[in-house]
Order: sequence, then C-alpha cells, then structure tokens
Amino acid sequence: MAAEDLPSEFDVIILGTGLCESVVAAACSRVGQRVLHLDRQSYYASNWASFTFNGLLTWIQEQQAESQPDEVQDWSGQVEEGEDLIYLSQSDSSSISNLQVFCYTSEEDEEDDTPNTTEEEKGGGASEATEAADSNKEDEEETEKQEAEEQVAQDEGAEPEADQPCPSADPNQSEPVKKKKISLAQLVKEGRRFNIDLVSKLMYSRGSLVDLLIKSNVSRYAEFKNVSRILTYRQGKVEQVPCSRADVFASRQLSVIEKRKLMRFLTSCVEETEDQQAYNGRPYLEFLSDQQLGENLQHFLLYSIAMATEDTPTEVGLASTRHFLRCLGRYGNTPFLFPVYGLGEIPQCFCRMCAVFGGIYCLRHSVRCLLVDKDTNRCKAVIDSRGQRISCNHFVVEEGYVDAERKQTATPTRCVSRAVLITDGSVLPSDSDQQVSMVTIPPVEAELPSVRMVELCSSTMTCMPGTYLVHLTCQSVGSAYEDLSPLVTRMFHTTESSDQEERPSVLWCLYFNMVDGSGLEVEGHDLPSNMYLCSGPDGALGHDHTIKQAELIFQKILPEEDFCPPAPNPEDIIYDGENGNGNSAEGEELKDDELKDDEEPKEQEEELTEQEKEIKEQEEEIKEQEEEKEEEQGLESEKGQGLETEE
Amino acid sequence: MAIRELKVCLLGDTGVGKSSIVCRFVQDHFDHNISPTIGASFLTKTVPCGNELHKFLIWDTAGQERFHSLAPMYYRGSAAAVIVYDITKLDSFQTLKKWVKELKEHGPEDIVVAIAGNKNDLGDIREVPMKEAKEFAESIAAIFIETSARNAVNVEELFQKISKQIPPLENPEVDSNKSFKLTQQPPPSARRCC
Ligand SMILES: Cc1cc2nc3c(=O)[nH]c(=O)nc-3n(C[C@H](O)[C@H](O)[C@H](O)COP(=O)(O)OP(=O)(O)OC[C@H]3O[C@@H](n4cnc5c(N)ncnc54)[C@H](O)[C@@H]3O)c2cc1C
Ligand SMILES: Nc1nc2c(ncn2[C@@H]2O[C@H](COP(=O)(O)OP(=O)(O)O)[C@@H](O)[C@H]2O)c(=O)[nH]1
Ligand SMILES: [Mg+2]
Repeated sequence: MAAEDLPSEFDVIILGTGLCESVVAAACSRVGQRVLHLDRQSYYASNWASFTFNGLLTWIQEQQAESQPDEVQDWSGQVEEGEDLIYLSQSDSSSISNLQVFCYTSEEDEEDDTPNTTEEEKGGGASEATEAADSNKEDEEETEKQEAEEQVAQDEGAEPEADQPCPSADPNQSEPVKKKKISLAQLVKEGRRFNIDLVSKLMYSRGSLVDLLIKSNVSRYAEFKNVSRILTYRQGKVEQVPCSRADVFASRQLSVIEKRKLMRFLTSCVEETEDQQAYNGRPYLEFLSDQQLGENLQHFLLYSIAMATEDTPTEVGLASTRHFLRCLGRYGNTPFLFPVYGLGEIPQCFCRMCAVFGGIYCLRHSVRCLLVDKDTNRCKAVIDSRGQRISCNHFVVEEGYVDAERKQTATPTRCVSRAVLITDGSVLPSDSDQQVSMVTIPPVEAELPSVRMVELCSSTMTCMPGTYLVHLTCQSVGSAYEDLSPLVTRMFHTTESSDQEERPSVLWCLYFNMVDGSGLEVEGHDLPSNMYLCSGPDGALGHDHTIKQAELIFQKILPEEDFCPPAPNPEDIIYDGENGNGNSAEGEELKDDELKDDEEPKEQEEELTEQEKEIKEQEEEIKEQEEEKEEEQGLESEKGQGLETEE
Repeated sequence: MAIRELKVCLLGDTGVGKSSIVCRFVQDHFDHNISPTIGASFLTKTVPCGNELHKFLIWDTAGQERFHSLAPMYYRGSAAAVIVYDITKLDSFQTLKKWVKELKEHGPEDIVVAIAGNKNDLGDIREVPMKEAKEFAESIAAIFIETSARNAVNVEELFQKISKQIPPLENPEVDSNKSFKLTQQPPPSARRCC
C-alpha cells in the first residue's frame, strides 16, 4: 500500500464519485476508454454517500469544522508553451448548510464500556474514521447539541424551555426494563452495521435508473427491496393508500362506490383525452375535483399517486399519475424499489463496473488545476494533488470542485431540506415490523412545503433491529429545521412534543440543507470545451435527472458509442490460454441457468392465472354487493383495458 | 442437491496473486501476465460439500485495492473472505493486519476469514516464516494455508476449507419483503400481491 504513482496518461479523468460521475465512468470504461476516477474524500459517492452511524458522526464533524484554505501552490513550472492554468476549488463544504443534530435518548447505558470488547473493537476494527468518531463522539455531541440548542432558541423563541434533548440518564441506569430506549452508546456500538444515506430517493421500477442497471448488468452487484406500502398523513393520522388493484379491492377505508370511482378514474387517465387537455395549464386539483371523486380519493390521487401539490398543472399531474401506474406491479405492489444497504451503494456499483473494465480508482486524491490549450480551449492535462501531471482527452468533474464564478447556475441557489431520524417505532405499526414505507405529507402549516418521508426498516440494513430510519425531504423554504421540525414534532414523540402515546419516539436526528443539483445549467460555463460538469443530487424522488445528464455527457465524449451495453456474464468469460477449459462445473452452471430460464415463464403463467382467479373472485364479491347490472358491464370493460396495459 | 450461492471476496496487496488464485481455482489455469481481471465481475465455481452444492461467486478486487480504494459494497453479503499475501514479500504480510481491520470495519460480522500465503513455489526467497503467519491466523481464528497458484498447490484445498467452515443453512426467513436482484424478468414471487 505504498504510495505508488498514477499512470501519466488517460482518455478520461473523472473527479468526484457521485452517481452522475460514476455512471459516466462505467460507461466510458465499458467501451474501452482508459479512465482515471478520483475523489478527494476517503469515501465513495460524494453527496450521494451513505455512512455507518460512526461515519455519519465524523461527516457531521467535518461539515462543522471550518475548512482550511490550503496554501495555494504555484504550479506554473508545469505549464508548457501555449497553456493556461485553471485552479479548481479545494473545498466543497458549501453544498451543505444549516446542519443541526439532536439527541433525544440517553448517551450511555449500563452494559456499555465493558473494557474488553471496546478495546478489542478499536484495535481490530476501527478505521481512522471510526477512531475519530469514537474518541470525539461525546465532546462533539455536546457541542453540537449546545450549538443546535442555541440556534433553536434563537430561531424559535417561542419554545425554549422545551429543549432538553437528553432526558437524564439516571432512570435508565437502574435495570434494562422492557420499554427502555436504545441509548446513543448502543447506536454507536451497533452503528457499523447500518448505512445512513445523505440523499433520500427511491427507484421507480420502470424508471431510467432501474432500466440502466438492468441493461448494463450493474444490477447484479446489488440487491433491492420493494417499498411495501404507500402512506399518507391526513388530519393528524397516518393512512395507507390503496395502490395496486388488489389493494383497492382489499381496502377497508374505501366504500364500494369509492372503489369503483377510483378504478374508473385510474383506467381513464391512462389514455390522454380531449377532456384532460382542456385542463392544461390549470391545476390538477381543479381537474380532480371536477371528477367528483370525493375528498378521500382526491387526497390520495393528488398527494400520494401524483405526488403533486395544490398548484401542479394538470398535464404534469396526469403524467406523474401515469408514471406511477406504469411502475406498479413490476416487482411489487408499489412503484418503488430501495437498494439494500442504502442508495450510496448505487454509485459504488457503477464504479465497480468501471474498475472491472480497467478503470483506475484513487480516493483521497484530487486535481489541483487544469492545463488548458490556449488555442483550442481544451483541457490537455491535469495536475493532481501530488503535483503529478496527467494528460487526458476529456475531463468530467462534479460541480462542487469548480469555483462558483465559472459556473452557470440558476439563481438564487435552490436547496433541499433534509432530516434524518432514528426512531423506535413505525409511523403506522402493522403485522410486519419490516415494512418499507413511502409517506406523502401535504403541508402541515400554511407557508410550509409538502414533505416526502421514507421510513426504512432494519432489513434494509439502514438501521439496527428495533429501530427505523426516517428520511424527510422537501424543497427548502427556510432552513431544514424550520421546514421539517414542525412535522417531526407532530408525527413523533420528542421531548419537544407533549406526551402522547402511539407515536414513535425520535432517538436521534439530524437536519441539514443540501444544494439542489437540478439548478445547474448544462451549457454556458466558462470552462474548457472538453470539460463536463456533473450536478449533485436533486430534490426529486427519482433519478431521471442524473441518469439523463450522465448519458448526455457520455454522448458528448463518445458520440459513436453504445451507452452501457451489458457486461458479459461470469460464466461466459474465458481466460485465453491453451488449457483454459478446466472447470467442469461451468457446464453444469450453464445448464442450471438454462433451466431457470425455461422455468420462469411457466411459473409466471401460473402466477397470472392464480392472480386472475383471485381478482375474479374479488370482483364477484363486489358484484354481489352491487345489484345494478349496468355497473357490472362497466367493470367488465375496465378489466379488459387493464389486461391490455399489461406487457 | 440444493445449490447454495456463497459470495467470497479476495483481499490483499496488488501483485500477491489474488487473480491468479481465482484463475487457478476456476479455470485451472495459470498465466504469468494475467490481465488485471478485465471484464470479470466475479467468477463462479461449484463444489460439493456434504449434501449441498456450494456455488462460489468469487469477487476479485478489480484493481481497486491498488490505491487502497475498495468500495464497502465489495464486502456486502460475503460468506467468506480470502486475504492473500506473498510469502516472498514481508511487506505484503505486514499489511495483512490492515486488511483484517478493513474487513472487520466493512465486512459482515459472521464472515469466514482465510489467510493464504501465496507463491510457496518460491520457497528459496521466502521472507515470511510459515510459523509466524500461522500464529497470526490462529490469533484471529482464521483459516491458514500456503498456496501456489502457479503450481496448483493447495488452491482447491483453500476453498474446501472454506466450504467446511460455512455454517449450515438457517431456516429461510419468513420475511414477506425479501430482497432480490433486478433482472429482465421480475422475480416470480414478487408478482404475488397481497
Ligand atoms: C388505486 C388504483 C386503482 C387501479 N385500478 C385499475 C383498474 O381498474 N383498471 C386498470 O386497468 N388498472 C388499474 N390500476 C392500475 C393497475 O393497477 C396497474 O397499473 C396496471 O394494471 C399494471 O399493473 P400490474 O397489473 O402489473 O400489477 P397489479 O395491479 O399489482 O396486478 C398484479 C397482477 O394482476 C394481474 N391483473 C392486473 N389487472 C388485472 C385485470 N384487470 N384482470 C386480470 N388480471 C389482472 C396482472 O396480470 C398482474 O400480474 C389501478 C391503480 C391504482 C393505484
Ligand atoms: N511464482 C509464482 N508467481 C505467482 C503465483 N501467483 C501469482 N503469481 C504472479 O504474481 C503476479 C501477480 O499476480 P496477480 O494474480 O495479478 O496478483 P493480484 O494483483 O493480487 O491479483 C503475476 O505475475 C503472477 O504470475 C504463484 O503462486 N507463484
Ligand atoms: Mg488482480
């Protein structure tokens, strides 16, 4: 692990390991480009990263530390005839702001700090990062809390007495009783096992990210879970939104009339009609209320299915309703998937694909400046953080590495408000404690934005058993705390909210704002012509913006090449050489795979008929409930259309 | 016979022979100028073990170890890890401890660890005494073996030892929301809805 020098020539140099950069890296490497992929951080995925709990505490510390401007070194010695020098920005802390941490559980618990285990864990397992987190944890938590509290006190003069984030530890010290809160010490101790994302997004089952993962075979590096239910928050209550056809039939909340109305509406909106076009430019809400759906359905359709707001135009609302419906049923009975171990896995998967095709990876390594040809305005080479000159044909960089003056961004800078909560129960307890829920929340107060909540269970490997990881996301109006804490106080039990049963308690939470990556303009930057900017995460639920951008950049670099063609299967790779035929198991595996391929469609047919039977039975139930024969015909025709929309 | 897929990841400094060990095991082939794993996401080989078949999915580092930039996702869900050093390079043995640490940090808790001292065909220029390596392996409860990818010594045995240490299959969880891989065909079970 000695400091080896990097090769001095590449086709493409990529700086930053966020999703966009990583997809570009994989795509270029896949078609034979020599790629060097760097990141100044010690972790992958930039602002898309996920951290262990300890890693997150370290990240928080880093964000709060004032970034030291490096001594500007003079690289003019490396400049050749006819070259200009462009320096890159050496710190990127500007994309995160208003960071606040609250701990609502006790810091310690009695079983903690048995010297043996702690010592061993440190010696055996701790990386630099963990050690830093471990040793500084307490001080850091203290100062953060104080800082946060002070700020809260300033911002929210109204409720200063409420701030007592850590209830005294004494009552908990006595003995481990049944409903004992998990302590911060326990979270830290177990923290290496779970992964907390900075970004909260979901994958549409027919979205561009899922398509790309499948097309490229990058999907085999990761596993996914279905979001198992869609919830909404209404009149102070959390309710489940009936989503699939079967859900609708099974729903207890909806009356028979409502069920039929909903079915009819959803069927009718699959096709664009003149009636709908008449509403273009007018709010979707207006269109919905003219359909006479009633308040229940209107709420579900607007907030949970279209995920729109009161002033979303009809054409936009309908488009997202259709997208939602198209995505249903591909993998499960909601439109969404979530990667096990968190979203931060996805950039890493693309990086692995890049490496597998020869890309070179180097973390904790950056580019100081670019050498630009004066005549052609092309970047010819870069100087890396060790002062080495490395030549390249193309340079791709995450926008955070580029000084603001050179970038064309939408003004004023838009931000996303985020909160990350560790809680001790689900917002809607059910038979299974392993639900993954997407919760849509209309504004809880005037002036506040609508909020997206994703509640993750422990089997997604994002939190320890017995807890949930809750992500809140919205477009910023104020600071993350201002935008989101009113909701947290309403939906959860914190020391700030008055005692009430049935609501889960927040053990720990983090607020911060992140710059919204969708504000970056594609063109018009004051930069070399072969340099491409990638934006950071945007505030949308899906990944379309990023994947589109990555494909666009790839096409600019290699207009003739295929974007992420499938990587070969492991079984198809033959090492060249005379005696490379030795593995007898290979034949078996291939056969095995063929078998599987044969079996799959059969199984599906069976599934289909089973499903159909089920659905028919349910339909009959409804028919029994209703007596009018005309209505039956209505259902019949809807059923036909439903099948047509199937692939 | 039931087939069990077991992910195995390889660790160790560049040049110790990780890719060569995989190539020997899977293809029974050795190449002095093995190209650095181009295009191979992972290689597979199935071996019988008791009344099960173990299908090893062997993940190579894809060179990401070279500048110490392995991604945590590399370790996810591994049943076993093979940490390789070169018996002719003391350095590569000293960094072993760092790899163990890295694995403890990022790897699954119940992972089976094997330490392989590779290139034991080059005994005359050995720098790492077998005894020392063996003791270290014992201290961390790891499998220990010296191998030669070149001469096909102990490579099969390495994986056999791993096979034996893999704990028997637990009862499959009754988790209704199981994780799955994305393929062109959705997993059949996912289609069954409520
Ligand atoms: C609240 C709500 C109500 C909806 N109502 C309708 C509707 O009335 N008509 C409609 O076309 N779409 C309706 N949709 C959309 C529909 O659920 C799916 O978008 C579309 O049918 C594709 O999903 P799917 O069939 O793959 O998945 P699911 O709806 O989860 O169905 C699972 C399986 O059931 C089978 N299946 C689905 N529909 C039928 C059917 N009509 N007859 C026999 N088998 C079927 C499919 O083969 C599928 O494999 C509704 C969606 C929502 C959210
Ligand atoms: N003599 C000898 N050379 C080996 C052996 N295994 C690998 N090598 C050589 O060591 C070099 C590095 O091997 P490689 O598999 O690429 O190492 P990796 O970087 O750990 O994947 C190659 O030149 C191999 O030919 C071995 O068992 N004996
Ligand atoms: Mg190798």
